[in-house]
Amino acid sequence: MALPMLATDNWYDIRDLANLTNPLLDFVGDNISSELAYILGPLIGFIASFLIFVLPSQLYVGVYGERKLIGRIQSRLGPNRVGPFGLIQPIADAIKLMQKEALTPKLGDPIIMNLAPIIFVAPAVLLFAVIPFGPNMIVANVNVGLLYFLAVSSLPVLAAFMAGWGSNNKYSLFGAMRIVAMSISYEVPLVLALLGVALFTDSLSLQGMVLWQKEWDIWVGFLMPIAFVIYFICVSAELNRTPTDIAEAESEIVAGYLTEYSGMKWGLFYGMDIGYALAASAFAATVFLGGWSMFGLDKFIPPWLLLVVKTHLFYMLFIWTRGTLPRLRIDQLMAFAWKFMLPVALANLLLVATERMLWVDAFDSKQAMLYVFMIVNIAAAVGIVYVWARFLGYDPDSQPTKARLVKEAGGYVPVGREVR
Amino acid sequence: MTDTIKSEPFVLNIGPQHPSTHGVFRIKATVDGEKVIDAEMVMGYLHRSMEKLAEERTYVQNIPFTDRTDYLSSMSNNLGYCLAVEKLAGIDVPDRGNAIRVIMAEFQRLASHCMAVGAFTNDTGAWQTPVMWCFREREKILDLFEMTCGARLTCNYMRIGGVAFDLPASFVPAARKLVQTLPGFIDEMESLLVANEIFIVRTRGVGVLTPEMATNASLSGPMLRGSGIAWDLRKADSYCGYDKYDFEIPIGYRGDSYDRFLVRLEEMRQSVKIIKQALDGLPGGPHSTQVPLALRPPKGEAYARVEGPRGELGYYVVSDEGPSPHRFHIRPPSFINLSALKEMTVGGSVADAIVVLGSIDIVVGEIDR
Amino acid sequence: MEGSGPVIAFWMLAAVTLVAAGGVLVSRNLLHAVLFLILAFIGVAGHFVLLSAEFLAMAQVIIYVGAISVLVLFAILLTPRASRDNGETKAFPFGALLAIALAAVFLFVINDTDWRTVSESPGLAPEALGEALLTTWVLPFEIASVLLTAALVGSIMLARTAEEEAEDALA
Repeated sequence: MALPMLATDNWYDIRDLANLTNPLLDFVGDNISSELAYILGPLIGFIASFLIFVLPSQLYVGVYGERKLIGRIQSRLGPNRVGPFGLIQPIADAIKLMQKEALTPKLGDPIIMNLAPIIFVAPAVLLFAVIPFGPNMIVANVNVGLLYFLAVSSLPVLAAFMAGWGSNNKYSLFGAMRIVAMSISYEVPLVLALLGVALFTDSLSLQGMVLWQKEWDIWVGFLMPIAFVIYFICVSAELNRTPTDIAEAESEIVAGYLTEYSGMKWGLFYGMDIGYALAASAFAATVFLGGWSMFGLDKFIPPWLLLVVKTHLFYMLFIWTRGTLPRLRIDQLMAFAWKFMLPVALANLLLVATERMLWVDAFDSKQAMLYVFMIVNIAAAVGIVYVWARFLGYDPDSQPTKARLVKEAGGYVPVGREVR
Repeated sequence: MTDTIKSEPFVLNIGPQHPSTHGVFRIKATVDGEKVIDAEMVMGYLHRSMEKLAEERTYVQNIPFTDRTDYLSSMSNNLGYCLAVEKLAGIDVPDRGNAIRVIMAEFQRLASHCMAVGAFTNDTGAWQTPVMWCFREREKILDLFEMTCGARLTCNYMRIGGVAFDLPASFVPAARKLVQTLPGFIDEMESLLVANEIFIVRTRGVGVLTPEMATNASLSGPMLRGSGIAWDLRKADSYCGYDKYDFEIPIGYRGDSYDRFLVRLEEMRQSVKIIKQALDGLPGGPHSTQVPLALRPPKGEAYARVEGPRGELGYYVVSDEGPSPHRFHIRPPSFINLSALKEMTVGGSVADAIVVLGSIDIVVGEIDR
Repeated sequence: MEGSGPVIAFWMLAAVTLVAAGGVLVSRNLLHAVLFLILAFIGVAGHFVLLSAEFLAMAQVIIYVGAISVLVLFAILLTPRASRDNGETKAFPFGALLAIALAAVFLFVINDTDWRTVSESPGLAPEALGEALLTTWVLPFEIASVLLTAALVGSIMLARTAEEEAEDALA
């Protein structure tokens, strides 16, 4: 039975919400005006993705979940006062922020400073436009979705820079300087890592990548573990997350470019930081973890739910690293990008390109080849990383990790002297 | 930044309000880009004129003052002052009093090192987690203090001639239980940080103090031992019967921030060892000798020093046979240790300066007094 | 694409681009000028999207906004007193002359061009672009990459200090 308002024969296909909205849009376009449909389409898409994904995620995974999980990591409880289990805490926080005065330093540049949070917000929203939530659930199926994502994600750096410059504070300026330097460095291995993915999946569109992973029943994250890890590191650098949060390094430069911000101006930065992290997680889930597909399971579970779960699991990685790792110094961070990640990314690209050539020319057993490649690549990842780290002088056993012990008080004990 | 890019040096005020200055302390750093080319320490924001005030109060009344110099190790401060007055007045402390003092001083060292290690890792950027873990353990120690003397931070427990009260009956079992669990916690901290590659690159080779520099600046405590000098007053100039206990002095290799961190971790282990021995051999008898409240020591002067958590904590007291000291002076380890800050920070980056400051483990209450 | 949507978008983007470009000229604050420049770049990228050249648009944003502008900002940060007013300059007459000459060339080209309208999409897919770059235009492509490598090595050589060279000689 064909249902009148649905674009499909089976009622349960509403699990892809686009099957609900697309007929509506078609109806509007045919009967009322095509312009209205033109505007309405993205609007519905944004509202839907915000309602089912961004807003709840931001409040309840980004703010509440992060605080709870970090609390557990730090052997404390996290928010538990406002509402049951502290569930109203994020809302209370937002209300508190709105009540606070939004200061503008007298000697700063008020236009730039007040514009910065606004510019910071816009790309975070735009990033979700190319993330496919289902076979049809995608706001803009651009054929260069990957590039779109990279392009739009390079914009917040400008906002952070404006914030740092407009504040007229030395710490803010430090933060601005650091984030600008860092974003240039980390963009390079990031793009190289993603290039391998685009090469293998033969697509620059995110939907195309998901469909490729669905077709071949393999996740790119396992097929190219190096690219996956490099993506994670680069993105956590660009998002200013520990261990690479040097632009906001609290113990060093107070709050970096956010030092002079207060009230909702700060709140926008804070909220959108989470927005970017979620967008990056959604992107990772899409490109590396199969997106809305899940080895056939997407037939039974709404695809957008799969994506949301994967995104949140990936986001958990950010929280975990934030709760456990110390921070690198800026020169070490730069050296890491250029000396370690760039060569490793290039090696990965070479490896993937070779495999791609073999794979395309193969006539049969393409599927089996992919699994072989997966095993080869995981082994190669360990090998390349280890060899390159050794080459750069990594040697965990060369340095003592325990203090020497002496029985008697005396003068200087040279390192060579036998003790105990 | 290389020298070919010309950038103007400018002054960066790190503090007095800054997340990493551990109180109201200020480094006036001249920086060129991120590189520190000059560092000037500005202190005195917390000055309370303790040494002058002490001249107007009786010897016993001064004990609470010593709590408030180094507020993270009040027991050690009490101890140092009491030792100085006892030396001046020639008072002997009963064995039980000495053993209790040792237990308390070592617990205080553990609590203080918990704080030092936690704050230091926080300065390297480990976002709060090690601090919280350290605080969790420190709380347990402070619970013991509360059980004994009712206060957690400013204990005011030591008295001239012994300690204020005997240990409560529940103290020894509770302390034994805690001492059982503490090594596990130290291992946990070690597994979290000691082999952490990021932590190592941030601290190894940062803020190197050669043995010559350390001795020339008359540093003491973990700062000195980190530079490979085996110097511990508990062994070198024993007091309170420390020579009876079996423990070792941990020393570092080349005197960087990492070594100081290792030394602190190992010192915590040694403290646990001492406490175990002291609890096992806790003698009976009185906890204190009777000392007149209005103590008037004979004319003279005395300097007594203890190995506080931060180094040599000395008290110098001069008596003119009056009820209050004629002159009262504290040798604060943080203050002296801080004097090496400039040598250690200049040439490094701002981030390194913060790590170095964290590795010194300052308490501003003690610096400014 | 039909309907009034692209038309509205075109005029909006054109206005934004032109105003931003004007802002670059009149802004006395160096940083404001750079920010206007970035806005102009984004406007141009929007025009590329309208022309169905998504790849070019994205490349425009990544390269011009994400990389070049950021480099310019970095240069401003490292320049002492960069926030000073970008005031009068002695080179004004020459600048004006150059601007007029450039404008003349532009006007000539604009006038000379045959502004054809095509109804179908020009089909500037990334695949076609890549194919063209690596077959027909492979020589210029390679020359450009060699040039960029040379520039990269040159800049590293310029930035190296004597001490670093000594260190490398030892190693």
